[in-house]
Amino acid sequence: MSDNPFPLSRDELLNIYQTMRTIREFEERVHIEFSRGDIPGFVHLYAGEEASATGIMTHLREEDRIASTHRGHGHCIAKGVDVKGMMAEIFGKKSGVCGGKGGSMHIADLDKGMMGANGILGAGAPLACGAALAAKFRDKGDIAISFVGDGASNQGTFLESLNLASIWNLPVVFVVENNGYAEATSVDWAVACDSYVDRASGFGMPGVTVDGTDFFAVYEAAGEIIRRAREGGGPSLLECKMIRFFGHFEGDMQTYRAEGEVDDIRAKRDCLKSFSKTVTAAGVLSQEDLEACDTDVLSLIEEAVSSAIAAELPIDADLFTDVYVNY
Amino acid sequence: MSKISSTVTIGLVANPFSARDIRRVISNATGLQVSDRANIVMRVLSAISACGVKRVLMMPENGGIRSFLKRDLQRDQQMGDNSFAELEMTNTSINGTVEDTFAATKAMVDSGVKTIVVLGGDGTHRAVAKVCGQVPIAGISTGTNNAFPEHREPTITGLAVGLAATGRIPESVAFTFNKLLCVKINDGERSDIALVDVVVSTERYIGARALWRTNNLREIFVTFADPEVIGMSAIAGLLEPVSRNDSGGLHVLLDVPEQAKTALQVPIAPGLISTVGVQSWQQLEPGIPFTLRQSSGIIALDGERELEFGPEDTVQVTLYEKAFRTVNVGACMRHTGQHRLLVGAPLKC
Repeated sequence: MSDNPFPLSRDELLNIYQTMRTIREFEERVHIEFSRGDIPGFVHLYAGEEASATGIMTHLREEDRIASTHRGHGHCIAKGVDVKGMMAEIFGKKSGVCGGKGGSMHIADLDKGMMGANGILGAGAPLACGAALAAKFRDKGDIAISFVGDGASNQGTFLESLNLASIWNLPVVFVVENNGYAEATSVDWAVACDSYVDRASGFGMPGVTVDGTDFFAVYEAAGEIIRRAREGGGPSLLECKMIRFFGHFEGDMQTYRAEGEVDDIRAKRDCLKSFSKTVTAAGVLSQEDLEACDTDVLSLIEEAVSSAIAAELPIDADLFTDVYVNY
Repeated sequence: MSKISSTVTIGLVANPFSARDIRRVISNATGLQVSDRANIVMRVLSAISACGVKRVLMMPENGGIRSFLKRDLQRDQQMGDNSFAELEMTNTSINGTVEDTFAATKAMVDSGVKTIVVLGGDGTHRAVAKVCGQVPIAGISTGTNNAFPEHREPTITGLAVGLAATGRIPESVAFTFNKLLCVKINDGERSDIALVDVVVSTERYIGARALWRTNNLREIFVTFADPEVIGMSAIAGLLEPVSRNDSGGLHVLLDVPEQAKTALQVPIAPGLISTVGVQSWQQLEPGIPFTLRQSSGIIALDGERELEFGPEDTVQVTLYEKAFRTVNVGACMRHTGQHRLLVGAPLKC
């Protein structure tokens, strides 16, 4: 591997591509299945944002904890949650990772360190602080990540968490996934100080902005920030500037977006295309490698949907299970 | 001296996104707040307005500077202060990328601005220099390494710009020429410029853009080598200083420290002193293209990774002199003092 000009091995790069491709195909397929009316509740899709979840999660181990958002499918997949179990969960089936009782916005898998997607905006940040406090006491170098959107970053819970993390020097990273819109409200209108990095410095922690559509940009920045947290350097904030290919939720008419905006970003700012171009241009992975991976992923997603559709719904008695759990 | 002009317009490019990169984490670099950037613009506006400049044409952005300025100017007007030059935005699009700087700078040049004041790091100044032609730049450092813009109180920069642009200081004193490096891949199939340094790394990805891992560096070309600055050009500056006004630049060959002839301790970023392996260095003659020794990798321009190249590509770097102009703030203020330009009543045009 001496000629490999990347900080990752060939196998690692292939795994990263597979993760990003799995997220993409998962979301594209949920988009189709939701339009057929078979998926209960709301879904918020992560397509276009894969480089953020994957670039960050590549540095994590199973003991590290993440607190996700309402747009959590990508975080789940990148953290290693079972794809078939996730699809069944979104379909509300008993074979889902939460027994079909959580759905898209409440997928959780504590064994994987995934503390849950969250329907309450900004609610994940205090959870991540709690997990980070526990990690600090255990003293094994584990960390926690709080994902938050640009809109939820205005919530009091998020700002209070920045303060708490700083005064307790917690091993936590706050990731602001800034896709430009809080539902339909442009970030340019809704964030008072206009910079998340400025907010971080206001709470006495470093903040960094990266192009969230570039896997290697996220990977490099997250690597330094996570290393700092593991070694006792305390909290940091990472702003990933990114884009979403779909609306805020499925069914969103997206009248707030410019004409042709989505087509333009799909053509010019697709993180999968840029990753593929970079690794193939350097000759570390071939187009055939990537196409074989695409085939495997499509097959997995097809199986996930088929098995989810065929699975049983929870029964009334399931209402009384999983109400309380031991951590 | 030319006639004092009453119809002068000054251009202003303020980058809201400079100083946001990974060096905040790896090396305790400063993160200048948006409100501080707006305050700097206000200080520049005060100074150039005091020189009688009536109009400033500014790049629009949605990073916060514009909204802070609007609020500050409204408050000053409410308090009865109408002394500021009229602040107008260029009619250019806002994408939050370097394209905004290119478009706004072009609009400023097309409308005949006398000077463009730039707030940013080396990257922002490079973006303006690519488009500004012979319109002089006045640089104000709000980035991370900032080898190109000199560190100075913006009020003084504003005074120098105002006095020069209104014709109170002769052009021969006020403005100075600068060198730049041009990178051409495959005879111009792809090309770009650097104001300070071109660095070649073995990496093949742009990633977080900033350079800080010195083990991957193989070659560096500099327009000037100042031992007082930090960043990549400091490597050259600590080997053989070359000033901005000297003819030519420097070309340094690098390697991993264990395999290099010389190990050099270099302030590669704020608060980060790293070991750099140096093989050799030589003068860089102007106008003569140098072909890269490295067969594949990434090219960083003024400290940011920009251009990937492979074994199939031919990459050449050429130093050009008298490539673009800047305001010589020190010379302007010396002239101002020597000729007592600010003695007496407030200036008017």
